[in-house]
Amino acid sequence: MTTATISSNSKIATRAATRRTGFIDILASEWSKLATLRATQLTLGLGFLLSVATTAIACIALGTTQDDWSPDFSPVTTSMIGVAFGVIVFTVFGVMAVSREYASGTIRLTLTATPARGRVFLAKFALVGTMLLVAGLASTISMFYAGQALLGAYGMPTASLADPDAARMVLGLGVAMPFFPLIGFAFGVLFRSTAGGITTALGLHWLPQIFGQLVSESFQENVLSLLPSNGMDTMTSGHIQHSPAFPDPMVGAVVAATWFAVIVGAAYLAFVRRDA
Amino acid sequence: MIEVNDVTKRYGETLAVDHLSFAVKPGIVTGFLGPNGAGKTTTMRMILGLDNPSSGTVTVNGRCYRDIGAPMHQIGALLDAKAANGGHTARQHLGWIARAGGIPAGRVDEVLELVGLADVAGRRLGGFSLGMYQRLGIAAALLGDPETLIFDEPVNGLDPEGIRWIRNFLQCLASEGRTILLSSHLMSEMEATADHVIVIGRGRLIANTSIAAVTQQSASNHVRVVSPRSADLVPLLERAGATVNAEDGALIVTGIEAPAIGKVAAGHGLELHELSPRRASLEAAFMELTQGSQQYQGVLSSSAA
Repeated sequence: MTTATISSNSKIATRAATRRTGFIDILASEWSKLATLRATQLTLGLGFLLSVATTAIACIALGTTQDDWSPDFSPVTTSMIGVAFGVIVFTVFGVMAVSREYASGTIRLTLTATPARGRVFLAKFALVGTMLLVAGLASTISMFYAGQALLGAYGMPTASLADPDAARMVLGLGVAMPFFPLIGFAFGVLFRSTAGGITTALGLHWLPQIFGQLVSESFQENVLSLLPSNGMDTMTSGHIQHSPAFPDPMVGAVVAATWFAVIVGAAYLAFVRRDA
Repeated sequence: MIEVNDVTKRYGETLAVDHLSFAVKPGIVTGFLGPNGAGKTTTMRMILGLDNPSSGTVTVNGRCYRDIGAPMHQIGALLDAKAANGGHTARQHLGWIARAGGIPAGRVDEVLELVGLADVAGRRLGGFSLGMYQRLGIAAALLGDPETLIFDEPVNGLDPEGIRWIRNFLQCLASEGRTILLSSHLMSEMEATADHVIVIGRGRLIANTSIAAVTQQSASNHVRVVSPRSADLVPLLERAGATVNAEDGALIVTGIEAPAIGKVAAGHGLELHELSPRRASLEAAFMELTQGSQQYQGVLSSSAA
C-alpha cells in the first residue's frame, strides 16, 4: 500500500477538467444521492400504494353498503379520498430528503464539494419537487381509475377524465400533492431535524381540522381560513363543491402561494447564510 | 496555502476562536494541536467555508473557500468520517460526492483502490467499521487529487492496526510534497508525522513552530548530574546561573547546558559519575504549552505533566 502513489495517471486529466460545478452536476449528484437510497424508494412507493389502497377500500365500502345515491354524489371526489393519506407519507419523504443530510452529517460533504449554496438549495428543491410531482400525479391518476373501476363494478355513477371538471380535480390534486411535502422540505432545512420538520408540516396541514370544531365561528372564518390547507382546498375543489373558506379559487391560490413563498424563502435564506 | 487572518468565531456566548492567525506552509505536514474544545474543528470548518467567521478572513490559495470554482481539486478534507448514508455502497457514496465536485466518475474506483477498499466497493456502508469509514473519508478527500489536505483527528478511536495504516498513508501523501494540516489532541501523534506544529488553546494561538523547537524551548529540559561531591557542586552551579533540585541521589539541573556544567566541575576538580542532558518528551512540552488553556481542567490533571 505504502508504495502506491496517490496521484493517478488521470492527475493531468482531472486538473485539466477543473471547472466550476454546473447546476446539472449538482442536480445529478443530488439525484444519485437520493434515488439510490432504499428509504426513498420505500416512502414514495408507500405513499402511492397507501393513496390507491385507501381509495379502493373506500369505494368498496361505499359500493357494498349504499343503495340509493343522492344527486350530489361525486365519483371524482370519492376516488380522491386517498390523497389525504398519501400526502402524509409524501411529507415524510420531503422532510427526510434534507433532514437526513443533517442527521448523517453528509450536508457538510455536499457543501464542501459544492460551496455555491444557493444553487445546492435550488437543485435539491427542484429534484424533490419533481419526484413528488411525478409521485403525486401517478397517485391521483391511479386513484381515479381504480376508483371509477370499483364504483362502476358496483353499478354506481362514474366519471371520465374527458370531463373537464374531473380532469381539473384529478390533475390539480396531483400537482398540489407536493405542496405540503415541499413545505416539509423547507421545515426540514429550517429545523435540521426529521421530527421537527414532520411535526410542523403536518401540524400546519391539519390545524384547521384539529381546532376547527373547538373555536368560535368567527375565528374559523377569519383566522383558520387563512391557513394554507384551506387555500389548497379552495383551489382544487372549489369549482366542484361548496368551498368552506373562499368563494374564489384565485383567493385560495394567493393564500397558499404566500405561505409557500414565505416558508420556502426562509429555508433558502437559512440554508445560504447559516453555519452548516 | 491556507491563511487564517485574525479570525474570531462566536457561537452565542461561547468564544470558540479568538483572534487566531496562522499560515499553513506548503509542501510540509503541519500538526494542528490543542486540547479538546480548543477550536481546532471550528477553525477547520471555517477553512472549508462551512462556518462563517464572526470576524477576520480565512483563505485557501488566496481565495475564500466559497469563491473557489472547483474546490475539491485544490483542497480535500476529512472532518467526520462517519458522515455518510448507511444505505449507500462505498461506490455510490463517493459517486455522488465526485459528481457534486465535477470530478469524472472513473476517479471513484481509483481512490477506492488507493485506500484499499476496492474489494468492498459494492458493500453498504452500514456494515463498515470505523477504520473502513476513515479510509472512505480519506478516499473522498483525494477525489480531486488536491495539493492541500486537511484531516481532523484522523486516528481518533482507531485500533493500532488502523492507526499504523493512517500514519503510513499520511507519510506517503506527504512524500509527494502535498500540504497537509493534521489536527490532533495527542502530541505523540505529531512526533512521527509532522514537521511543524500550530498549537492552540481556548481558541488562541499558543505556538507556531517546528517540532524540534517545541522540545528545545521546554522548561522540562534538564541535565541529570550524579557526583560524589554534589554538596560542593550545587553552590558552584547556582553561581553559574543554574537551578538545582535533588532527586534520588542525582541533581536535576536546569538553566545551563551540560558542557557548562562539565566545565564548572572540571574547573574545581569535582568528580562526575553522570552528566546526561534530558530532552523533554514532545508530550511533556505540549502539556506545558497548553496548561491553563484546557477547557475543562480536572483537579488532578496537573500531575500528568
